Amino acid sequence: MNTVTSFLQKLGPEILSRTYEHIYLVFFAMVIATITALFVGVYLTRCRWPKLVSIIMGVAGTVQTIPSLALIAFIVVIFAFVKLPTIGTVPALVALVLYALLPILRNTYTGIKQVDSSIVEVATGMGMKPHQILFSVELPLSLPVIMAGIRISAVWTIGVATLCGLIGAGGLGDLIIKGLRSIRPDYLLAGTLPAAALALVFDWILGLVEKWLTPEGLRASVENQV
Amino acid sequence: MIRFEHVNKTYPNGLKAVCNLSLEIEEGETLVLLGTSGSGKTTTMKMVNRLIEPTEGRILIEDTDIMEQDPIRLRRKIGYAIQHIGLFPHMTVAENIAVVPKLLKWSEDKIDKRICELLSLVGLQPEQFRLCYPAQLSGGQQQRIGVARALAADPPIVLMDEPFGALDPITREQLQNEFIELETEIKKTIIFVTHDVFEAVKMGDRIALLDAGVLQQLAAPVELVDNPANEFVDQFLGQHRFQLSLLTKTLKTIIPQINQETASEKSSVPPLCLKVNSSLIEALDIFKKTGKVTLPVYQKCLFVGNLQKAALLKAITDILGETGGTT
Repeated sequence: MNTVTSFLQKLGPEILSRTYEHIYLVFFAMVIATITALFVGVYLTRCRWPKLVSIIMGVAGTVQTIPSLALIAFIVVIFAFVKLPTIGTVPALVALVLYALLPILRNTYTGIKQVDSSIVEVATGMGMKPHQILFSVELPLSLPVIMAGIRISAVWTIGVATLCGLIGAGGLGDLIIKGLRSIRPDYLLAGTLPAAALALVFDWILGLVEKWLTPEGLRASVENQV
Repeated sequence: MIRFEHVNKTYPNGLKAVCNLSLEIEEGETLVLLGTSGSGKTTTMKMVNRLIEPTEGRILIEDTDIMEQDPIRLRRKIGYAIQHIGLFPHMTVAENIAVVPKLLKWSEDKIDKRICELLSLVGLQPEQFRLCYPAQLSGGQQQRIGVARALAADPPIVLMDEPFGALDPITREQLQNEFIELETEIKKTIIFVTHDVFEAVKMGDRIALLDAGVLQQLAAPVELVDNPANEFVDQFLGQHRFQLSLLTKTLKTIIPQINQETASEKSSVPPLCLKVNSSLIEALDIFKKTGKVTLPVYQKCLFVGNLQKAALLKAITDILGETGGTT
């Protein structure tokens, strides 16, 4: 018990400020990635040029295959070439957004594509305009799939964001790096445990959002009898 | 009401779905488009609300070319029902029915009233069902909602694409009967697509039999069964000819001329009685149920004569001889 209190006394304030930085990074990366991926994903389902779909999906998929550490390094190098800041929040955010995009993009695209085509046809046949079909039929019906993409993406981003400590963006990665350099398990734990907890909390919150957004008629809990 | 003038539909891959189709659908009639899959019946129907656009020819609704109308407005004036999958699973029954009225910006009160009205019309308790989701309903109930939704904005024209296709035979027959009754109340112009010749004969005022995009015969059910226009029609009816004859022939054809003198007004018609427009199969059924050998025949409230069971059976054997059918 004593060790815990002394641990918190010593590292508590730093854990708090690093966690705040971490949340800040992840939150903005997720907001930017979600908005972009939704727009691009919806556009791709409307796109009449299948080549473009496979190109964009391919690029997003390729980014995903680059090890996260390497991606961050690449961004720093590229930023150095074009004379943008190479340390701090900006390159970190760019890396995180690129990393977070694919799961959301792919799930938005496949989510909308898997909506039964006969339902879309009925909606058209009833005289709905394309944007009405999108907002009142396609998006509600693909929402569980899109939300699953956002949740996967959020958990990943929290993990990858620990690496942003390397380029001076702060976050819980800072504590982990400190612990690694000085072989101090208390620093390692101070970085790792909050990061793991954050992933759980984010996933839980997004789960609630998903539940709240999912149309009642699609919920599994709908009893099967009247 | 709806007129097809030399309509052709050729898909980009060269497939001719509909060839030189000309036909006219009267106001208030139910036209059944009948054919096997790939016959162009669904394509024909979908051209009416421009889900598919003809490559050649014109389709006119009340003498206006549909290609000159805004497709969105056109569709909102045409009811559309398909197999039960067509309900929006994320909307309640009430929301499903309210889709088109909402698009037409009806007031909340009016929509609400309409929902209750329609649910009662299709035989479902409004209070019990309006807040249910499609997943909570049986196939038959879902299909009733589908019909109610197609009628929601009171469109003069209703398109139905195998609306009872996904149901079990018993529910199916029940819904067909209910729909026939409903139809006499609502008086819509209906285009009904089916591949089931019995359903066609039952539902249609006239039947358009299509094969490979070409209209083979356009006729009333009796006419289609009695006088197939060509070999294809004959083959299509095939072994069902006998049953179809029993379904389409009414007592009128086997009772000797209705004698106006012996005809008399009766104040009460028994619930289980023969009508001049009963089909032979219905008559047989009633004989079986009552167990009598002679039954009176009515035309509405007018008693027109008695029918012997033997006479009915003889008529049926005659048809069997004519059609050479097998039962």
